[in-house]
Amino acid sequence: MFGLLQHIGPKLAGSGIALGTVYHPPSQHHYVSIFADVVIGLLILAFVLTAFRDIARLGRGISRAWAIGRVTISEAWNARMWAVPLVWFAICALLGLLIVRGYEPSGVVRVYMTIFLRAQALILLMYLGIMACVTLPRERERHTLVTTGSKPISRLELLLGKVMGLSAAGVLMLAVMMILTWGYMKVVDLKIRHDAQVLYAMQKKSYDNVLRRMPPDTGVKYISEHGVLQAQNYVTGKLSIAGYINYQTNPPSRLLKGGSSEVLYFEFPSLPATEYYRPMFDFQFQVVHALPSTKPVKIDVTLVQRSNPMNTQESTLTLNPAGQAIWMPKNPTSFFSYVNPQTGQMYNPGPVVVKVTCPEFGVYLGFGNGLRPPSDTACLAVSLDTSRTPHHSGMIAPKPNPVITGFKDNGKQEIVGPSIHHPQIKPEVASWDFKNLDQQQIPIGPNGNFTLHMVISVDKQSNEALPPVAQIVAYNTDTPRVRTTLSTYVNEKRITTIKLPSTLLGAGDLIVNLRSEVPGHWFKVKDDSMIIMQPPSSFIWNLFKSEMVILCEIVLIITIGVTASTAVGWPVAMLTAMVAYILGNLFHFVQSLFQSGGLELFDYVQDNRMKHIWYYKIGSFITNVMVHMLWVTVHLMPDFTRYNPLYFIIRSKDMPFEIVVLDMIWTLGCILPTLAIGYLLLRKQELA
Amino acid sequence: MVADSQAIQTRQLSKVYPGFFKSQQVPALTDLNLRVDQGQIFGLLGPNGSGKTTTIKLLLGLINPTSGDALVMGQPAGDQETRRRIGYLPEESYLYRFLNARQTLDFYARLFNMNRAQRRRAVDYYLDFVGLDPSVRGRRIGTYSKGQTRRVALAQALLNNPDLIIMDEPTSGLDPVGMLEIKNMIMRLREAGKTVVLSSHQLADVEDVCDRLVILYRGRIELEGALRDLLEKKDVFQLSARNVSEALQAKLSEVAAEGGATEVQTGRARVRLEDLFKELVARKRSGESR
Ligand SMILES: Nc1ncnc2c1ncn2[C@@H]1O[C@H](COP(=O)(O)OP(=O)(O)O)[C@@H](O)[C@H]1O
Ligand SMILES: [Mg+2]
Repeated sequence: MFGLLQHIGPKLAGSGIALGTVYHPPSQHHYVSIFADVVIGLLILAFVLTAFRDIARLGRGISRAWAIGRVTISEAWNARMWAVPLVWFAICALLGLLIVRGYEPSGVVRVYMTIFLRAQALILLMYLGIMACVTLPRERERHTLVTTGSKPISRLELLLGKVMGLSAAGVLMLAVMMILTWGYMKVVDLKIRHDAQVLYAMQKKSYDNVLRRMPPDTGVKYISEHGVLQAQNYVTGKLSIAGYINYQTNPPSRLLKGGSSEVLYFEFPSLPATEYYRPMFDFQFQVVHALPSTKPVKIDVTLVQRSNPMNTQESTLTLNPAGQAIWMPKNPTSFFSYVNPQTGQMYNPGPVVVKVTCPEFGVYLGFGNGLRPPSDTACLAVSLDTSRTPHHSGMIAPKPNPVITGFKDNGKQEIVGPSIHHPQIKPEVASWDFKNLDQQQIPIGPNGNFTLHMVISVDKQSNEALPPVAQIVAYNTDTPRVRTTLSTYVNEKRITTIKLPSTLLGAGDLIVNLRSEVPGHWFKVKDDSMIIMQPPSSFIWNLFKSEMVILCEIVLIITIGVTASTAVGWPVAMLTAMVAYILGNLFHFVQSLFQSGGLELFDYVQDNRMKHIWYYKIGSFITNVMVHMLWVTVHLMPDFTRYNPLYFIIRSKDMPFEIVVLDMIWTLGCILPTLAIGYLLLRKQELA
Repeated sequence: MVADSQAIQTRQLSKVYPGFFKSQQVPALTDLNLRVDQGQIFGLLGPNGSGKTTTIKLLLGLINPTSGDALVMGQPAGDQETRRRIGYLPEESYLYRFLNARQTLDFYARLFNMNRAQRRRAVDYYLDFVGLDPSVRGRRIGTYSKGQTRRVALAQALLNNPDLIIMDEPTSGLDPVGMLEIKNMIMRLREAGKTVVLSSHQLADVEDVCDRLVILYRGRIELEGALRDLLEKKDVFQLSARNVSEALQAKLSEVAAEGGATEVQTGRARVRLEDLFKELVARKRSGESR
């Protein structure tokens, strides 16, 4: 990450801009995932060792397993499985009719696909999950396993048969649902095309009769001809915010942007105890780098106690010409740990966070990375009164790498346009890096141009009446001096097409830089705000790939259900499968808890003396063990958040086939240890 | 080494059904030593709850023995390959209610890896063999009468043309005609050289067909032997004859051998199996109550 920065940074330095950093917390607790891997590995080993004869027989055994599978399908069919897709379709069609009114054409596809596919996944997960949990227990209750078990069939084949049968039922239902979805969307598309035709004809007529100034909308014409069922292929670049960067610090840090929603967080793990009842301390802020440097700058600071976010203190500080400010919080004892000399009692409020924002437009502040380097570029430190706290004199630095969060909703970032008051401040630049374009199919127009599609939203701080104008600079990293520069009006939240010469495409990366030209106009951008369109693929193929992702998820939940039901009755099996599904969906959440250090609070206590009392120790130990068990458990569960059948199709984007393949491989990787558990549980079980 | 002529051999086979408390444990079978030769019709008799079904399930590997072991066709009980040569008729017809007779047999045939043609042939052949009314064959088994279900279950047991057929209460649920058919069928199986193990508490079933039998009581063998030996009254001689005139009748009691009677049959008098069985059970019960 930082290596990349070093690589790109100097290249752009000449143009007066540099790339910004986005903070990623380092991942921790590797040992837990290693532990999980070892457990899974041992499981598979035990499976292979105990089941090798059954595995060797699988050549002919698969057809026996499939026989079991067929009976399982018959059972499901007999329990009116066929009604499931019909009920699903009825609900979706109705919901669609109720919700979709008044959407623009591309939104219609988005909403319909969300409803149809989400409902599919939900209904099938529930239906087949339940079927998976009951099918073995039901055979046990009805004693049909007695007859089946007297035939030359192994337990592995029995287990596989159940999974195969239910999965096949899932395939059947998904196929029906896909065809219904496709048919429904076809009808919707026909209607949208027809409406667009009528609209275009109307616009054209009034334009011809000079009743309308604007020529008829080409977008409407496009829809009337091509409809909205598309699976677009396009190439996105990687977005970097090119604001002002301070290279004096290591790693380079992005400057805090005044007047924006950016917040800089400094975290102090714990402010250490002093021996005095009222410790004297202050926060010393030192701005490393400020633009413009002429003006006295104000900053808003907030001190927050992490264990109690309601306990805050705010202040506005003015930086002196040297860029320094000192803040003495009024009631420091609620943030600072100390020892009461009378009672000997220790008070520790736990981690505290200092948030810094800058309210003024056009100001950029560099706070360094929070370390206290030997030079005088300290950004933030707590200084203790040496006369009163002899053992803790000097400075306390916060955790390194303070986080800047400037992200607006949907991960969009703002770039600031030219400043009205300070023309010398250059606007920020958003920079997209398109890699490996020479391996992509990019349509070249008759004039030797290719088309860039840009969708951005504009935040007008001033000059509301002016239309937004963007300046685009594009070049190839192989020929950085050959630059294409152009200015264009921006269609807000709509597609703005930009034609660039195809000479820019080559073996190197294509860099596209964007900035606002109108003072006070800020752009909100994200990775796919700038795309290069490619020939579309068929919608039904895209739908099929989405269904495949759903299928992977369903097969996994079936395996989990069947496995759970080998050892316990169906109610407990359902509970187990549900817990596995929920924990599997919490994977990233729990991981983030550990990574952000949020779990430290579990072990947090105000009175440090408590930590030596035996029951506190026991309680703390138990909490610790439980939290880590949760962590290990979550790691042992398959990560269900991985399955995202919607992401591409609702963006009318073609899902790369690799995603389907990877999901399938990954699903197999989860199924194998699950089956291993099932086999080990079923191996010696009595069937009668 | 086990001689291949033995279809079944068990050594000290015991089964205790587990229970949470010791008082809940059921010693269903204790130290069973059983030998069934190939080609035999073997009867497993005993009152309700004496351990017949338990024995059979152990032989099929459906449940695990608490101790001891069992060899079936020379292989440990439950061996997957051996089960290819075994047919099993469960005590109750445990079949899928939602399949019809043809689908049911087709399913089991698939478990024997039969191909399509083999399956079709076997299914029709055995449904005819057990005499299932052709008009019901396309209906779900859930709608069958008990006897009809039983016939499908029987067909299922014969489907793979097994060498060893284990039948648990084969005649339960059948009408008298059905019972007779079963007996005839067993005789035919014997002629074909198959080994048949059948359990029953209905002695009339077994009486005519068994070569050997054991009588189980509370999980132990109480009586064992060839049917002929078991039912013979060693101290009584019997004679029966046809075409006996009045005079001959009078004389016969003195000189039977000298008379002109035809088809003279002589032999040991036989008890009825039912009497033997009742007497045994009564003796055991009274022994326990003492
Ligand atoms: N699954 C079981 N759990 C506990 N006890 C059982 C179980 N199955 C059978 N038994 C008991 O074992 C004994 C033998 O049963 P079984 O072999 O079915 O007798 P039968 O000779 O009538 O076939 C009976 O007392 C029965 O109650
Ligand atoms: Mg029984």
